[in-house]
Amino acid sequence: MLDALRYEWTRLRTLRSTYWMAGSGLVASAAIPVVLGLGANDEPLHADAVNLSVNGGASFVIPFLAVFMAVVGIFATGHEYRHGTIQPTLTALPQRSRLILAKILTVTALTSVVTLASIAINAALVLVFWGEVPGLFDDPVRSALLGYVAHNVIYALVGLGLGLLFRGVPSALVVIFLMPLIVETLIVGLTMVPALAWLVPAVKFLPFTAGAELMLTSPANFGPAAPDFGFFDRWASGGVFALFAALIIGAAWILFKKRDA
Amino acid sequence: MIAAKGLHKRYGKTVAVDDLSFEVRPGVVTGFLGPNGSGKSTTMRLMLGLDHGEGEGETLFNGERFTSIRRPMNQVGTLLEAKSLHPTRSARNHLAMLASANGIADARIDRVLDMVGLGPAKRKMPKGYSLGMSQRLGLAQALLGDPHTLMLDEPTNGLDPHGIHWMRDLLKSLAAEGRTIFVSSHLLSEMQLMADELVVVGRGHMIFNGDVDQFVREFTTSTVVVRSPFADAFVSVLEAKGASITEGDDGELVVSDMEIDHVGHLAFTEGIELAELSRRSASLEEAFMSATGAAEQFVAEMPIQTAQTAQTPEGAQHA
Repeated sequence: MLDALRYEWTRLRTLRSTYWMAGSGLVASAAIPVVLGLGANDEPLHADAVNLSVNGGASFVIPFLAVFMAVVGIFATGHEYRHGTIQPTLTALPQRSRLILAKILTVTALTSVVTLASIAINAALVLVFWGEVPGLFDDPVRSALLGYVAHNVIYALVGLGLGLLFRGVPSALVVIFLMPLIVETLIVGLTMVPALAWLVPAVKFLPFTAGAELMLTSPANFGPAAPDFGFFDRWASGGVFALFAALIIGAAWILFKKRDA
Repeated sequence: MIAAKGLHKRYGKTVAVDDLSFEVRPGVVTGFLGPNGSGKSTTMRLMLGLDHGEGEGETLFNGERFTSIRRPMNQVGTLLEAKSLHPTRSARNHLAMLASANGIADARIDRVLDMVGLGPAKRKMPKGYSLGMSQRLGLAQALLGDPHTLMLDEPTNGLDPHGIHWMRDLLKSLAAEGRTIFVSSHLLSEMQLMADELVVVGRGHMIFNGDVDQFVREFTTSTVVVRSPFADAFVSVLEAKGASITEGDDGELVVSDMEIDHVGHLAFTEGIELAELSRRSASLEEAFMSATGAAEQFVAEMPIQTAQTAQTPEGAQHA
């Protein structure tokens, strides 16, 4: 297994896209506290604002860093097929399950480290603009930031699973962007149509919407017309997201063991 | 030693590899021949456990399945497709990645890159590589773990004449060290110089497995070339004794179904002067064409005889 981990780490660190994706995610996330700091550094910080600044807007707009790390996850498997490197890979490391496990562990470790680095950078930027980061190590911000790390890891693993499932990059990219930004947003919006109220109980099972609950310091606000979706608590909602990732990876893993390389 | 047994693979209703069994011995270069679409690459992929769907059979490398070998590059070196490279990962990093899974030292990476002539280009990205350079990198990959067995699919594709010559010498010297070398190629003249033994397949079936000379003997007829100022008289003598005669491009007699000693004896006893009496052995290419002609899957049309067509009245009208 150590050989597989060494292989996967070397594969990741010898790709320019790894640095581009992680760097772009860090910069995009850091832009949020900078913009807030430039525009509203005279306003007092409350828990929601600290959380939003430190997680780079992930709990409010788009989880930039998670999306970039999901692309790293897609590349971890999709690139192997796109460029045909799956053949040399499997002649160097023919134990397929070890290879997949190594990819999962490496992407998990890299995403965790980059997310923690992003938290540190953003907290430092908040400190620069406001002179303090109130409640950073206290709940609810502490739990929300731990949830942010978990959210990004699960997001990246969904990307990894999709890349392996589709054996390529484009289809996986379409799904990772389309599903949270359009499909789930559309379903949440449709619940506000009275005739489609039967969709309300399903919302808490939408994987990306449930996953976002991991990062919140106060209940999600979908607007005045939104019904009560009855979300599970932070970690149970994270479990819904994790279960989705596990299903994708499980299906991809089973097929990978059976398919031609 | 490679021992392949009962290799079988189908794509839907098409059988790509049909119950192939053969052995590849150490100490010799074994060529793997077959027309396009005959199942050579699929067979190699099956041997390495890369093809799973509807694939059957077992291949043992010194008694072990490839997928069970820990750090396989130290035992079996492979080159299947030259362009299986990430375009922005340098040649050195590509090898470093594979080496890291097999406990291979960095010094060995530089050694094999120098060995294949890619030392000066090792930091370059493969997106700028020619096919020949990619082949050299693929060979470096195969040699990385200094393995006892090499499996190479069309390794001379894209190489210049110097590269092909170098490849031939390298593979023969590795075989002379007692390693097992299994190599497919479409360059039959090259294979004739390089290979000691052959596995020949057509439409997924085994056509021949044995040494090169035996293959040529089995699938061709050697002939006797005769030149004589009294050729016409000698033809009737030879035909009377059961030989088959055709006339060659330069007017020489090409005699089959009769040994050269017998032809010479007849000329002596009949008092016919000879200007040339020689044996013409068939080439590997002739043997290959004879052996695989019926197994060719993709048959092209004959080239259009443009010069001839231009001489016809229709051709003259069009001109």
